[in-house]
Amino acid sequence: MKTRKITSEEREKAFKQPRKPEVIEKQKLDVRYHIEDFEVEDRPRRFLEAFAAILKHTNYRLALDHYIRMSAKCSRCATNCQVYQATGDLRDIPCYRSELLLSVYRRHFTLGGMLKGRALGTGHLTDEKIQEMADSFWDCTACRRCAMECPSGIDHGLITHLGRFILSEIGIAPRALVVSTREQLEGATGNTSAIPVPALVDTLEFLEEDMFEEKSVEIKFPMDVEGADYVFFPAVSDFLMEAETLMGIAAVFTATGDSWTTGTGYFDGINYGLFYSDRMLERVVKKVDAETRRLKGKNILIGECGHASRSAKYFIPTYCGGDDAYPVINIMEYTHRVWKEGRLKLDPNVVTEKVAYHDPCNIARQRWIIEKPRELLKAFCKNYVEMTPYGDENICCGGGGGTVSIDEIRPYRTTIGGKLKADQIRKSGCEILVAPCANCKKQLRELVEDQGIDCEVVGLHDLIYKAIIFDESMVEKKEEESVNIEDKE
Amino acid sequence: MSMFEYGEGKQVEVDEDGFIQDPSVWDEELAKALAKIEGVDEMTEEHWKVANYLRNYYLEYGIAPMIRKLCKETGFSLKKIYELYPSGPAKGGCKVAGLPKPTGCV
Repeated sequence: MKTRKITSEEREKAFKQPRKPEVIEKQKLDVRYHIEDFEVEDRPRRFLEAFAAILKHTNYRLALDHYIRMSAKCSRCATNCQVYQATGDLRDIPCYRSELLLSVYRRHFTLGGMLKGRALGTGHLTDEKIQEMADSFWDCTACRRCAMECPSGIDHGLITHLGRFILSEIGIAPRALVVSTREQLEGATGNTSAIPVPALVDTLEFLEEDMFEEKSVEIKFPMDVEGADYVFFPAVSDFLMEAETLMGIAAVFTATGDSWTTGTGYFDGINYGLFYSDRMLERVVKKVDAETRRLKGKNILIGECGHASRSAKYFIPTYCGGDDAYPVINIMEYTHRVWKEGRLKLDPNVVTEKVAYHDPCNIARQRWIIEKPRELLKAFCKNYVEMTPYGDENICCGGGGGTVSIDEIRPYRTTIGGKLKADQIRKSGCEILVAPCANCKKQLRELVEDQGIDCEVVGLHDLIYKAIIFDESMVEKKEEESVNIEDKE
Repeated sequence: MSMFEYGEGKQVEVDEDGFIQDPSVWDEELAKALAKIEGVDEMTEEHWKVANYLRNYYLEYGIAPMIRKLCKETGFSLKKIYELYPSGPAKGGCKVAGLPKPTGCV
């Protein structure tokens, strides 16, 4: 899929510098995201020290040694990169971006590179190179489509991830992510959106009342239930933004009667560590594991969120017990299973609009969940359309890799990062776009607004909430009254 | 951090995005001045209804209310709230009501 290159006006808008010149001068770093103050002196030395420490304590060396041998810089990845497709800037070709870090590795951490560099007195790390990395690594949405095209099997997303990790160790990381993660790990509320427990309880009680009004069914959000089959961790922002998604999930559990719970000790699936720091990634997944252990739960259930699902699914085993770790499932897997078992009934006459499904990169790229939500949607949405390419080859919403939380780069995200996605949405003509991911939802709503596309962005369970049919025995006595209201409509 | 100037020579500390740092310094005059930078020229009764609800909820619970709750309690649709505060309830609304900048995927 190709898109036209951005015009010079769009370029100007996308790259507008939101930071004040005096801040840029003080921090000696010209990037477009806010950063907390950090030590500006002697950056190259500190970068190399951080890099060396990471290499010592991780197994990145295996990948890097392979990549420096295999990287042919053939630029085939360019055909798959939606950022490069939009800007046409050679610096946005994934293997160019990767080379920024690979060249540092080759020069400073391989024998040949060190000898050659010393003999010729060239190639050492400078402030300018750090500047270029700090800029470039956050222009990427970490969608990892490029990896699928690379004939040498290089995962450019992994290199970008490592580059961001090293930079964060010397204090260079988007403030939006750092502040949220600090609140999650060290703050009073212990979650990224800083929601205190009384507010959580108030919110869930409010939703329970609302659902009873609408469905005449007692739909509950069980809290702190010990021994539940599923301990629930949504993107915590859902408790502020995505009422319908949560209501849909609660409705499904009410229909099946399976035990699930939200823990008041910890209830946040978000893990920005996946975007900028393995150290944070580890600490956050351990909180998920600890809360599940506290509640003596059996499975970890992640809500509608791509990166939360990926970070739990693939890193709970890494950091929390290997083969003995708690099983992790995404809510779409659960809902699909109970529907297949005939325990969930959906009304095919409720959703009549043209519906399309957007794959979150963190769920679809590794071919984890692709067909299940589609089977569900096709079962009750009469007018389902597909956007191509989809599944493991899907186009990123343009806000991946944590960039969606960086509000100051919204113009970049909606004119460059999400440009190809906007083309795709327009072409599909969908009226409802289903995106089962808190990141994707926020980005796609901003994208359709800024690009002037008339389309509503919702979660999968928002539609399930609309279409779910409860067993008659569950519907309360008020039935007659509610039927009458429906008749009038 | 920088300073936001309003009224007759008054100043408050704001972050890079223009959210006030100390919620206790908030008053109506400041709200009106903050509203101007969020594209709200005049604070009507409807604007105050949203801002006051946000503020009171924040004082009670330490966080903004869920968007759905805001809509239900004020009786405004989300569309209407976007008409009142073009940058949305989480950004414009919270800023005018003197809440800290929302963090996370908000």
